[in-house]
Amino acid sequence: MTLITVLITLLTLAAVTYLLSLVNSKLGAYFTIVTSLATIVMLFLIKDSIGQSYSLSFFTFKLTTVGWYFSMVMVTVYFTTAFLNPFWIKKMIYPAAYNLFFLVSLIGTIGMFFARDFITLFICWETVVWTSTFIIQMGKSRKSSYVYYVVSAIGSMVTLFAMMLVYQVSGTLEISTAFSALSGQPVLALIVFFTFILAGLSKIGIFPFHVWLPMAHGSAPHTFSPVLSGGLVKMGAFIAYLSVTAFAAYEVFANTFTIMGIPAPLYIIMVLGAISIVVGTVMAIRQDDAKKLLAYSSVANGGYILIGILLYDQIAFAGGMLHLISHALASATAFITIAIVAYRTGTTKMSELGGMIHRMPVTYTVYLIAIISMAGIPPMGGFVSKWLILQGLADRGLLFLAAAAFFGSIGSFMYVFRPLSAVFLGQLAPKYEKIKEANIMMQIPMYLLTIATLLVGVFPNVVLRVIADIQLEAGIQEIVLVGNTIVVSNGVLDALRVFIVFGYGFLIALVIFILRRKSRRVTLMDTYTSAEFIHTPELLHYSSNFYAPFERLTKKPYPVLNLYEKVSIKIKEIGHMAESLFSSSKPAITIFWIIIVFAIFFLGGVL
Amino acid sequence: MTVMNFVYGFIVLLAAFIFQTALTGVNRKVTARIQKRYGPRWYQQFLDIFKALRKGSITHGWVFDFGVIMALGGIMATVIFIPVAGFEAFPNMDNVFVISYLLAVGMLGMAMSAAGSGNPWASIGVSRALTNMVAYDVPLMIVIFTLIFAFDTASVSEIAAMQQGMGVLGWNAVRMPLGGIVAFIALFGMLGKKPFDSFIAPAEIASGPMVEYGGKHLGFMFILHELMTFIEVSLILSLFFGGGSSILVYAIKYAILYTLVNIISQVMPRFKIDQAVKFFYRVPLVFAIIQGLVVIFLGWGVSVWF
Repeated sequence: MTLITVLITLLTLAAVTYLLSLVNSKLGAYFTIVTSLATIVMLFLIKDSIGQSYSLSFFTFKLTTVGWYFSMVMVTVYFTTAFLNPFWIKKMIYPAAYNLFFLVSLIGTIGMFFARDFITLFICWETVVWTSTFIIQMGKSRKSSYVYYVVSAIGSMVTLFAMMLVYQVSGTLEISTAFSALSGQPVLALIVFFTFILAGLSKIGIFPFHVWLPMAHGSAPHTFSPVLSGGLVKMGAFIAYLSVTAFAAYEVFANTFTIMGIPAPLYIIMVLGAISIVVGTVMAIRQDDAKKLLAYSSVANGGYILIGILLYDQIAFAGGMLHLISHALASATAFITIAIVAYRTGTTKMSELGGMIHRMPVTYTVYLIAIISMAGIPPMGGFVSKWLILQGLADRGLLFLAAAAFFGSIGSFMYVFRPLSAVFLGQLAPKYEKIKEANIMMQIPMYLLTIATLLVGVFPNVVLRVIADIQLEAGIQEIVLVGNTIVVSNGVLDALRVFIVFGYGFLIALVIFILRRKSRRVTLMDTYTSAEFIHTPELLHYSSNFYAPFERLTKKPYPVLNLYEKVSIKIKEIGHMAESLFSSSKPAITIFWIIIVFAIFFLGGVL
Repeated sequence: MTVMNFVYGFIVLLAAFIFQTALTGVNRKVTARIQKRYGPRWYQQFLDIFKALRKGSITHGWVFDFGVIMALGGIMATVIFIPVAGFEAFPNMDNVFVISYLLAVGMLGMAMSAAGSGNPWASIGVSRALTNMVAYDVPLMIVIFTLIFAFDTASVSEIAAMQQGMGVLGWNAVRMPLGGIVAFIALFGMLGKKPFDSFIAPAEIASGPMVEYGGKHLGFMFILHELMTFIEVSLILSLFFGGGSSILVYAIKYAILYTLVNIISQVMPRFKIDQAVKFFYRVPLVFAIIQGLVVIFLGWGVSVWF
């Protein structure tokens, strides 16, 4: 089986899904699950032929380990999220289009990860941007899809400019060879670097291009937010990867000013990553909407991935790559659980929810494991990747990046706990007394993702072996793996042993607990209230302004948002002016145009 | 990994519990003497814990129980990884990031259980505790980061061993004075001692996270608190004050460090939680960054002292 067969099969399946959806939208939604499962199977089938090149008319592809890894992460997220499609499809305005776009965006990402030339890369990239724009539009607000499209368009147009520039210099469109023509021209290389990486930065939500994430993630259909955050954001990481491998930023900028051994242009991008970690964390803590909170956490985690990949060394690069999958799994899981809560209750506002654990224990447990991973606590996947990134930063002595990383990782305890406490724990409002647990079909993806998160956390070396292959392919030192142990120059980690010892501690605590007297079950309202008599559960639930003291400290909005507001107002004004010139019924405007036309008619020859 | 590792782990756990609980008892007496009281007997803390464990208790649902067990389990696992005077129950597992993040499992379990009680005081306490953690942990982690860079290892026992043999002058707190100050201040935050105790403020938010606990749950919380204290003091002792070459030296240094913190905290007022954040981000954070820059760019305090 070749890659071309895979892509054509998938396109056919997408078309079939569309036709089926026209007849019965629910059937089509089930078919998205089948198609994404087929993608996983086919990706495993083509794994042996890594290294081969394919072409289809003017599209050219190359099967690489890194492309395969990214595709697997992406398709895992798509496959698990597809299980939710049948339940939401009735709520979509254009169900058939939703199913089609869902699959086409998946195919676009796979094509992009295996692209060998700029044209294929760009077309696949734009396919994903367009299809996802239309899907986001089916959610809560139209404005968010505009913002998403504008930010994406700025990114992709600037990147297209970089590609054209490279083409002009090198005369070839093939990614790996085209960049080598830049080696003798430092100024041009600098321009190409910053313009090329911009699409990646805008996609992964790096400050100051992060504004679209909370809007798009927050208002996209609930079934698409997991894909956006777990999957599509990671496309930006691929561009970052290309900028250090194909573009070879470390060699191109070897003679420029370096900071702690890192060329200044790369360091600037990493500082942007560090700023995203801080901004994402602070903003996530301040949110009331659970989906927006998770979106800002994606901004913060995007910063980790970017820093890890751009460091391009033995330790931190492996950490960044591993964080890609651990965050994809954790974030998709968290979004899915919030989607299910929203499906049952109709809201994602944390201040309106509470006590869901008493009605949805499975959803709660799944969310708990997802946030343990997201906060980087052992024994889940997020811990191993953050450990690698932190060890890598400590090895290089990158103090300021590390300070941001520490702030993000400790701040994440704050924001991941907020939905746990406000949505799932605390008092159950009487109006939610009757709601039910997620049904079996919705539980399947939650189980799959949870098991995957745990496996990455306990046996990280399975994934890290693939990452070592990527490092080999990229020509950097591979991460050292001995059995279950990860060995880096300044520390060792045996994740399995951490898990076992945690289990041992848990067992001791459990035995002591069981041996003591059984406790008496009381209701949630039966709590200490300082001798006040409160009979309204909602009043006894602490969920709004959860981190009031911290919010007080960070209440000043940061200047970038104001700047964007101003720019958008100016653009609107210009638009209104242009509109009034052409489509106005005022006589003054008509006379104005008549004068112009006459002037051109009579004076055209003279001028 | 053999059965003996688990046996050693259990011994470390038991020894840590007994030692720290006795020390807490002694410090209750010290506190009392500062306040011109007579104070309870030194073993009063044991009596309190075992009495609580014997009593009947209430529960607010399964997460209320599960959180307590998860908290104690996580904390116990962390204690097992702590190297005591060079002795490790599980060799090569004393990575400082593993210890500090595994500690978070316990904290998460406790927070979860407290919020699961449905009492708003508990949630307010948890929200303050997490904010407090963001305040003290960032400066501390930056200093620890500096240590890892300087000594090229993240193993707590190795960092402790590198400080030994030179007396007081070999301690990281002396070699890197600003970092030592940060670590010492952060220890107050970690232990929840005044002035950073607003998350358990008994008179203000009814003990915060602890408000709903009674009976065996409260007994669990007491044990948890003793073990957490052991982890935190041990970490600071090993990383900044040279650890101990033998168990006896370790125990004496530990007792002095803990008692010193307790004495100082007794004469302190209480910070509001946002004041605590402001304080940590104004003074210790700046100290930590200056210390980091000094070590990374000038190399002072790493290999050459004299």
